[in-house]
Amino acid sequence: MIIFTLRRLNLLLFTVLLLTLLSFSLSYLFPGDALINLSGEINATPAQLAILSDEYRHQENIFMQYWAYLSHVFSGDLGISMASHLPIIEEIKILLPATIELSLAALLLAMFVGVPIGFIAAIKHEKLADNIILTVAMFGYSIPVFWLGLLAILVFSIQLGWLPSAGQISLLYEIKHVTGFQIIDILLSDSAYKWQAFQNATAHMILPTVVVALAPATIFVRLARTAMLEVLDKSYIRAAKAKGLSFGQIIYHHAIRNAMVKVIRDVGLQFANLVTIAMVTEVIFSWPGIGRWLIESIYQRDYTAIQSGLLMLSSFIFLVHIITDFIYAALNPLARESNHGA
Amino acid sequence: MARDKIYQEEEFPSPLLQLWHNFRQSPVVLVGFSCFAFLIILAIFAPLITPYSSIENHLDKLLLPPAWDKDGDISFLLGTDDLGRDLFSRLMHGTSLTFGLSFVVVIVSLVIGVFIGSLSALSSGIRSSFLNHFLDVILSIPSLLLAIVIVAILGPGLDNTLWAIVMVLIPQFVHVTRNAVKEEFTKDYVLASRLDGASSLRILRYSVFPNIIEKIISYATLAQSAAILDIAALGFLGLGAPIPLPEWGAMLSSGIDLFYIAPWTVYLPGLAILFSVIATNLVGEGMRHALKIGKES
Repeated sequence: MIIFTLRRLNLLLFTVLLLTLLSFSLSYLFPGDALINLSGEINATPAQLAILSDEYRHQENIFMQYWAYLSHVFSGDLGISMASHLPIIEEIKILLPATIELSLAALLLAMFVGVPIGFIAAIKHEKLADNIILTVAMFGYSIPVFWLGLLAILVFSIQLGWLPSAGQISLLYEIKHVTGFQIIDILLSDSAYKWQAFQNATAHMILPTVVVALAPATIFVRLARTAMLEVLDKSYIRAAKAKGLSFGQIIYHHAIRNAMVKVIRDVGLQFANLVTIAMVTEVIFSWPGIGRWLIESIYQRDYTAIQSGLLMLSSFIFLVHIITDFIYAALNPLARESNHGA
Repeated sequence: MARDKIYQEEEFPSPLLQLWHNFRQSPVVLVGFSCFAFLIILAIFAPLITPYSSIENHLDKLLLPPAWDKDGDISFLLGTDDLGRDLFSRLMHGTSLTFGLSFVVVIVSLVIGVFIGSLSALSSGIRSSFLNHFLDVILSIPSLLLAIVIVAILGPGLDNTLWAIVMVLIPQFVHVTRNAVKEEFTKDYVLASRLDGASSLRILRYSVFPNIIEKIISYATLAQSAAILDIAALGFLGLGAPIPLPEWGAMLSSGIDLFYIAPWTVYLPGLAILFSVIATNLVGEGMRHALKIGKES
């Protein structure tokens, strides 16, 4: 397990380095001056520029420039936004939790709905239920998410009027920003209208979460179905059958656990996909997250924001990737042993 | 595969032909395949068969509902938008943009990706390990985010979106090709031709490629459905096709303001995207199923 941990940490370090390299090279690739792209100071006077150039070591060779950029990033200085002139790290601190909240809620929903349905499909393999589930799943991951979001708003917010269509919480409630996670902040606050605020925030979350979760859920259906079919084909299941265990016992005690392990392995890979969907959904539902902010940054040609946003969001996704790897390894002893290619 | 054997001679169809034989067994898949073929034909011939041009305004027919509505007009089958442009014609023109261009994008990135992937499969040591990690990093970035960054570098516009999606898809093809080639290279038949003195490149060309092309094509369908959705999403976000072009995603986003009074301007482009993605996915699904049957038999 120690070797496994070291290898993962090594990979994480390597990846973060590569990502910083990528975001550093973006400052040269984006239109405009590299120094201004890095720092975001578009209105700097020549004197300020000279100080900046000294700070980012722009007179020296490219390796020293990268080193200076790295030390800036790791001391928490990502430059200032070209559009709002606020430090980007502060903006990200507010925005990233909203995205994490949305994407984790959607991931959990997708897993809790998708995986059991996938298992049912596998148990009823090549029967009517299986075919129906597969057909619905096919529709699910073919629907363009922006279209689905619009339809959801039309039906549930405008025609039925059940759920709010935009934002994270009604502006009536004033919640102090502590962790950035809306739900946790509400529970921490000592406002008299805590429960109303909580209900309001939950109502705001339902539509975007469901919209984000739909496509990943159908992918989990397929993953779970494949995993379950593989497991049911194994000889230990046949052995259990031969011992006279009932079908239910086999499924509950032997098949589900082994199939779950296989599904969890793929969660990390699916997460990048889920965040992509969440970014578009944030635009439609005016969710104050990092995806909407990034897309707005393009309209405003805020290159500093784009490169830092890319760095933070991808690091976050990779972190989730590594965490699921750890969970997978904790559940599955086979993965921990190096001769199985961990 | 119940084909009558008239001659004593054993017939061995090529892997691609075998795939086709298994592929056409399922009726649902064949329907998907016909839709796919239909979309390709539409994408090529759309400018010839549409009743109106995609930018022709009919100022006396603004926001006409589809023909089945009681206010509809049969000469504008799917109604018109706020500038009096015929939606049916625009959707057909859009086929060559959203669907046709996604096809081109996939072909381009397939060729480049397979080339790099097979070369990298032949290399080993630190170079290959670095490439592997580099690919892992690129693949862990969400495809749309990567496309957005590339669009930010190149500037908005349809051409730049397409390049961005090509660049997003290339690492995926490199990854798939690389794994497939590596897997084939461990097999005995490759060893046999290596013992015959064939060079690596020759093995790649005559032994490995015919056996992995089916895998790559089946991945290409997956990539195409992603490409359609990405082109449409970038168009929807206003980073792709400019306003007058009848790209489905851009059409959808220009319909949002009219959503309440003219919902067909939103749900029709959406349905078109859904239809083409489902057709592509059905083809891909059938192909993967056929591959599985081929492996089992």
